[in-house]
Formats: sequence, structure tokens, C-alpha cells
Amino acid sequence: MIESQRHSYHLVDPSPWPISGSLGALATTVGGVMYMHSFQGGATLLSLGLIFILYTMFVWWRDVLRESTLEGHHTKVVQLGPRYGSIPFIVSEVMFLFAFFRASSHSSLAPTVEIGGIWPPKGIGVLDPREIPFLNTPILLSSGAAVTWAHHAILAGKEKRAVYALVATVSLALVFTGFQGMEYYQAPFTISDSIYGSTFFLATGFHGFHVIIGTLFLIICGIRQYLGHLTKEHHVGFEAAAWYWHFVDVVRLFPFVSIYWWGGI
Amino acid sequence: MAEVSIELKTAPADFRFPTTNQTRHCFTRYIEFHRCVAAKGDDSSECQKFANYYRSLCPGEWVERWNEQRDNGTFPGPL
Repeated sequence: MIESQRHSYHLVDPSPWPISGSLGALATTVGGVMYMHSFQGGATLLSLGLIFILYTMFVWWRDVLRESTLEGHHTKVVQLGPRYGSIPFIVSEVMFLFAFFRASSHSSLAPTVEIGGIWPPKGIGVLDPREIPFLNTPILLSSGAAVTWAHHAILAGKEKRAVYALVATVSLALVFTGFQGMEYYQAPFTISDSIYGSTFFLATGFHGFHVIIGTLFLIICGIRQYLGHLTKEHHVGFEAAAWYWHFVDVVRLFPFVSIYWWGGI
Repeated sequence: MAEVSIELKTAPADFRFPTTNQTRHCFTRYIEFHRCVAAKGDDSSECQKFANYYRSLCPGEWVERWNEQRDNGTFPGPL
């Protein structure tokens, strides 16, 4: 903390990133609409917007990292902000994914007359739940156990062991994504094959997308652990990543039980 | 003058379909008719009641569409 400062709050400096992120979002939405309606320059504006957003994410998080790790602005009371903030964020993510599982259940529990009143619809060759799905679920749950191992290592001050545990966590995550990609590649149906394909790929696809986000989050934590950024007293970024990872983990059980298992037998 | 009495009848209440919306009732009776014909032959008298039920419950366009789908082999129901 700076000498003249008589409180423990972090008064942030003016930053260009909120407005640059907003402009990136504007360019992305307008460019996205233009692209999807085949307007000239739509693809260019969309790519520009996405690059702008990714750039803003990088520099904004870089600044936060400097303020917290290098300048020491994230006091105990400041750490409460991101800690409490990550909870409603994860809750909103659960609600987002719940909508897709609800859509899937809505379509499969009382299949409409249009698809013959049967589930899976005629002509859909479903995946065997005892093959990749039954292998991938424990792989993801194991990586949830490995992230807890990393947490205990950080709390015990075993820095090297924490890096190993995070490498194990990320490796299991990558194996999960690899198998999921293989499953998609080999699936005998596509997203355009009836309501079955639509709900299947929407639910499992958005879950898989969140697995990828969580994996990137954990990779960053692993790098920062390796660089000595995380201490046993101060590792909010890691805790947020671990919570996010447990959310992704628990959410996997819903598609496994209701889409692959119940919907596949 | 001789009295001509016409008996008007619809499908009886079926407890598998207790809701106001009878779409599924109509669809099931249509399937039951075709399964009956497939099992007992075209001129079986037992199947006639199912035909009466679905014709009374289903809109004509639906039956036309399903007949077309059966001809094309694209009918989605469990026949």
C-alpha cells in the first residue's frame, strides 16, 4: 500500500479498456448481423470486433495482474470484490446452460406428433452412453479432483507440487476435449438432424465451450503458479478458476444422465 | 313420412389422453388403425373402429399429410 493512503481500498486509475471493450462489442454485434445477412464488409467488421474484444481482454487482465501482483493494490478487503463477484457470474452460467438442458428435456419427455411421438426421432442413431460419454465423465471429474490437489498444495505452500497438480488438471481437461471432438467427428447425426441434433449439439457444445474457457483459465493459473504469482495467502485468481472448474464438472452430469444415458437407451 | 335417424358419434373418451388437446389421441388412433390393418389384413372388420376414431378426431389435412408420408416412407411414427 502507498504510504499516504490511509485506507485499504483500491482507487483505480482511469483506463481506456471499458470503452475499447464496448466499441469491440458494438463492432461484433453490428458486424455479426451484417455478416449473417450477407452485407458487404460484414465479415471484416465482425473479425475486427472480435480482435478488438480479445485485445481488450488481454490488456485489461494484464493491467489487473500488474495492480494486484506487482503493485500490491489487492488488499484483503479488495480481494472480496472478485471473490463475491465470481459467485453470481457462475450462477448466471448455470442458468444459461440450464436453459439448454430444459430445451432438451422439453423436446424429449413428451415428443411431439411432428417427430412421431417417439424419442429419439426415427432415423437418429444415438451414441452408446457406455462408450465415450462414460469414459469422459470420470475424466472430467478426475480433473476436478486434481484441481483440489493443486488447491491443497498452494495452501500448504508447496509451489512445485501445485504446478504439477495444475499440469495434471489441464492434461485431463485436454483429454476430455479431445474425446469430445472425436465423438462429434464420429457422430452419425448433425446439428441439423431434427430436434434431437439441435438440442444435443446445443447442450453438449455449450458445455464443451465452457470446458475450453475453464481450461484456458487453469492454464493461466498454472503459468502464474510457475512464475510464483500465487501465494498461500493470496490466490484469488486460482480460487475463481477452481470454482469455475467445479461448475463445469458438475454441469457435465446433466447431459451425461439426461441426454446420453436416459436419451440414448 | 318415414323418419330417418342418423347416429352421430365421435371417438369415446380415452383415459390415455385426458387433456383438452386431443392431438396425441388423434395421432395414436391413426397409428393403431394402420398397425391393426398390418396385423389383421386389409378387410378385417376389427380395424374399422380405429378408422372411425381417427377420422372423427383428426383434421383432414393431417391425415392427407400422414398418408403421403407413409407412401414416401417418411412417416415418423412407430408403425
